[in-house]
Amino acid sequence: MPNITIEDLKKIKERVQKQDLFRTGEKRVKITVHMGTCGIASGAKDIMDALLDEVTATGVDDVLVTTSGCIGICSREPLITVEERGSDPIIYEQLTPNKMRQIFRQHILAGKVQTEFVMARGREQDRSGGAS
Amino acid sequence: MKVFRAHILVCGGTGCRATGSEAIRPALVSEVQRRGLAGEVAVVETGCNGFCAAGPIMVIYPEGTFYQKVQVDDVPLIIEEHIIKGRPIERLMYREPSTDRTIPHIRDIPFFGKQMLIALRNRGLIDAEKIDEYIARDGYMAAAQALTQMTPEQVIQEITKSGLRGRGGGGFPTGMKWSFARKAAGDLKYILCNADEGDPGAFMDRSILEADPHAVLEGMIIGGYAIGARQGYIYCRAEYPLAIKRLNIAIAQAREYGLLGENILGSGYGLDIEVYQGAGAFVCGEETALMASIEGRRGMPRPRPPFPAQQGLWGKPSVLNNVETFANVPQIILKGSDWFASIGTKNSKGTKVFALTGAVNNVGLVEVPMGTPIGDIIFDIGGGIPNGKKFKAAQLGGPSGGCIPAAALNTPTDYEEITKLGAIMGSGGLIVMDEDTCMVDTARFFMEFCQEESCGKCTPCREGTKRMLEILNRICSSQGRDGDIELLEELAYSIKDTALCGLGQTAPNPVLSTLRYFREEYEAHIYQKRCPACVCSGMFTTPCQHACPINMDVPAYIALVRAHRLEDAYRVLKRTNPFPAICGRVCPQFCATKCRRGQLDQPLAIAWLKRFITDNAPRPTVRRVPITRKEKIAIVGAGPAGLTAAHDLALRGYAVEVFEELPKPGGMMRYGIPAYRLSREVIDAEIADIAELGVTIHTGIRVGKDISFDDLLSSHDRILLATGAHRSLPLRIPGEDLQGVMGAVEFLRAVNLDKPPAIGKRVVVIGGGNTALDAARTARRLGAEEVRVLYRRERSDMPAWEQEIEAALAEGVLIDCMVSPVCCEGSGDKVTQIICQRMQAAEFDSSGRRRSVPIPGSEYALAADLVISAVSQSTDISFVPETAGIATAIQGTICCRPQNSTRTSHERVYAAGDAVLGPATVVEAIAAGHQAARDIDEDIRNYNREPPWQEKDIEKIDIPFEVDEETISRPRIAMPELPVRERTRSFAEVELGYDRDSAWREACRCQRCDGNQGKG
Repeated sequence: MPNITIEDLKKIKERVQKQDLFRTGEKRVKITVHMGTCGIASGAKDIMDALLDEVTATGVDDVLVTTSGCIGICSREPLITVEERGSDPIIYEQLTPNKMRQIFRQHILAGKVQTEFVMARGREQDRSGGAS
Repeated sequence: MKVFRAHILVCGGTGCRATGSEAIRPALVSEVQRRGLAGEVAVVETGCNGFCAAGPIMVIYPEGTFYQKVQVDDVPLIIEEHIIKGRPIERLMYREPSTDRTIPHIRDIPFFGKQMLIALRNRGLIDAEKIDEYIARDGYMAAAQALTQMTPEQVIQEITKSGLRGRGGGGFPTGMKWSFARKAAGDLKYILCNADEGDPGAFMDRSILEADPHAVLEGMIIGGYAIGARQGYIYCRAEYPLAIKRLNIAIAQAREYGLLGENILGSGYGLDIEVYQGAGAFVCGEETALMASIEGRRGMPRPRPPFPAQQGLWGKPSVLNNVETFANVPQIILKGSDWFASIGTKNSKGTKVFALTGAVNNVGLVEVPMGTPIGDIIFDIGGGIPNGKKFKAAQLGGPSGGCIPAAALNTPTDYEEITKLGAIMGSGGLIVMDEDTCMVDTARFFMEFCQEESCGKCTPCREGTKRMLEILNRICSSQGRDGDIELLEELAYSIKDTALCGLGQTAPNPVLSTLRYFREEYEAHIYQKRCPACVCSGMFTTPCQHACPINMDVPAYIALVRAHRLEDAYRVLKRTNPFPAICGRVCPQFCATKCRRGQLDQPLAIAWLKRFITDNAPRPTVRRVPITRKEKIAIVGAGPAGLTAAHDLALRGYAVEVFEELPKPGGMMRYGIPAYRLSREVIDAEIADIAELGVTIHTGIRVGKDISFDDLLSSHDRILLATGAHRSLPLRIPGEDLQGVMGAVEFLRAVNLDKPPAIGKRVVVIGGGNTALDAARTARRLGAEEVRVLYRRERSDMPAWEQEIEAALAEGVLIDCMVSPVCCEGSGDKVTQIICQRMQAAEFDSSGRRRSVPIPGSEYALAADLVISAVSQSTDISFVPETAGIATAIQGTICCRPQNSTRTSHERVYAAGDAVLGPATVVEAIAAGHQAARDIDEDIRNYNREPPWQEKDIEKIDIPFEVDEETISRPRIAMPELPVRERTRSFAEVELGYDRDSAWREACRCQRCDGNQGKG
């Protein structure tokens, strides 16, 4: 493909921001499994497997599953971030496949946040301000 | 992985087994089988989940339904209703008393709240393998701006103005480096990224590459444009497979978009980047060695100049920057140099990423503004030290860095400030070490690393590190000798001055910095053959015995408890300790803090086992020792130090007289420690054994009043001063001289003399140590309605033992932390209230704890009938005339030389215990008493030119060796206690002692660290 231009960069940015944040209504929930080396070493792959099994088993189609890197607090891995439209992201910590299954059934499907596994809500933003 | 549609977890912990969980699991398995669900439902037994009161407990996933008090009869119903029909059984469900646990916002968690993200801004937010997600977060916009709107010189100027310095460790200004390469002659130049992260404990670069590889690529594009490079390399160690994989994906995606290659974003500028995998040699992090490695040669440094900016890779001008440096570059271009320069300190701008590891609660990756104090990173972001241990040092900068002690926790993260301390900022490895770390061993570890990683090109590094390691190995295995420290220093400075590259020049840093702050640990290893942290296992048999000031053979008596041979166990106790029954009740247990069982679950209850022996076996009979020597010894003070010395000297045949001012012997054991912690019968019995040896104890005689010190000196050959620290230090606040304000030591002494002062209704105790709690719990027992302890720091800083704090709270004592007294006020000459002020945490003090400072305007009044100050005690040797010439320290304690001996500045006078140490513990006083007896005997024999004293052959006690095949995690057996309602009016002992079965079970927890020493 030909080299992209600055205009293309801006278009990609707009497109991704729209579709990624499930604001178009395609997806209701985005689940990010944090898969840095620390996460993988603490079992993030098993969490991912359990999550995908649940998605397959329940046949839901409004859940987006994605991965990302370490969020910094390696001693609490494996971690996931659950983002639902209109509410703060929820970060779950020290997960096991069973906890993942419970979170999927109770939180993702039934809307009850599983507070006992939650580390925090919200998103760690670039505090320095400016463009983001 | 086999997928089950449901998991049934049955608790198999002791609590649930006791209520019948053992039968439930087989019942479940057979029911699952019977209904043909074996392939769909997994039955799993789990460990205790801590909710034993509701046992047996069962959790069914995926829903996470929690069932309590499950019986075997419920099993068919659970399978039928829940598993098959999907209807949870209400009857068995647990109802949470309050379900409104609030979830903190991520900003309210100090770990995140105190961080500031520039290099890590995309962490956890984007999928590292999707370039579009990076672009959506303004990715490549900085490159677009630089390449199309700025000249290379403008880019360099912007980076220079920002103050960005190399994040790999050196801290060289990045803009300057780029301008050198820009100005260098030649068309062919290279931009290189150093991802050869090799410091033990460091993982900053790896994490950036894994989470946000495009940020590094973008930084390199901007850097390449600035210097005029057409080709870039990322040198990454092969041990980082995930980082390499994501980098290669990122490079491929960038090439596809034309963000790498020719004519990037239509600017006419072109750059391509390749990943070069290193084999993991530490020296390849050095820039000239790294370039040699890319060229396909052996990774060895070469002398500079010429610097790489003139002649680098393949002899062409090259710029090498660290991963984190490049990750900062796009943000500087986007947001401007002024924004970046506004963050940080005068000479260190922006943020720094640290890999926080070691003995810290929140292990992880943190990014903080430059200038953040190191203590804030460790305690606020890192959450402090786990398991209630004390902070000892922070290692910064890996094998080229150094250790920072507790006294320097306020040091800001700033290149120059850290260098002043003898460490370096380094690439950002921050290893936290607690009291269980041996600093000599730490230095040895880093030296071993450098010695192994030395490339061998220059002699100082190749040979010097080897010799230094040999010396350190020697010191860590009891073979250290006088002069080793000086030799280490000499070698260290020669290597620093003469090694070829940065690796060699900085290799001695860990040794030099530990010598600078922890020299006494080296000295303890060399001269006393002791490893204070109980780490260097070549120096001792078991850590518990090594940690004990009187070297008690802990594994031996615990083994004898297990073998039910209590009489033998008692004899083992008495070999080194004349007061085992007392120590079994009030010892601070230095042994238990080093107990290896503590790494599994909890340390052994060593003191409680000691007490069990003395409670349940007859005291070994004591026979009078005939006096065989002509020298007479006088001991002033019948506390643990004086009596131990008397005991030892009597055994050696000396005539010993003890002079005690108070009506009964025992010192602080009797007049300081309350009877509910230490019964008076126990004290009487153990002192009677010492008198039985032939020691004369005169009570009610104050030296200096009833008999003069000079008389004592003329009638005795040697005098031991063991007078303790029996005077409370003043609070130094107005109103302290009112009636009803007194010191804790004086208060406890009066109570134990059966002359308690008027207590009134409200008692306020000031202080946070055991003495404060002793006074508070005693006041409760004497009928005070409200007893309040005021402490000026956080509760976690209280020096009192946790068990004492909990017992005080259980007995209704109120503890107010972060409060300090301002003045006492009264009507007439009687105190009626105390004015207090609230405190707030400030910077760290030299002990590594946060200082507390008053909150202005926070004063408030507390009504008080009695105010007890328990801030510390001092020693009082006013009975010794100045003419005797006994040297004392500023705080009033007696000085002994050399250190650890009991010899005072008068040749016939010795001193031991609290009078020398300041307020300490019974076991330390016993140790000092032993030392005094050894010193006195040695000096007498040297004077007489006699051979040294030989201990008679000690009776052989066979120690059995029996350990469990398998170690199951099991906390210590709890100590039975007197119910709280029976305590408040009684001085009966609170702790009741183990029964036979508890003691045996506790003894079985011992892992017998003496096992591989061929004992038993």
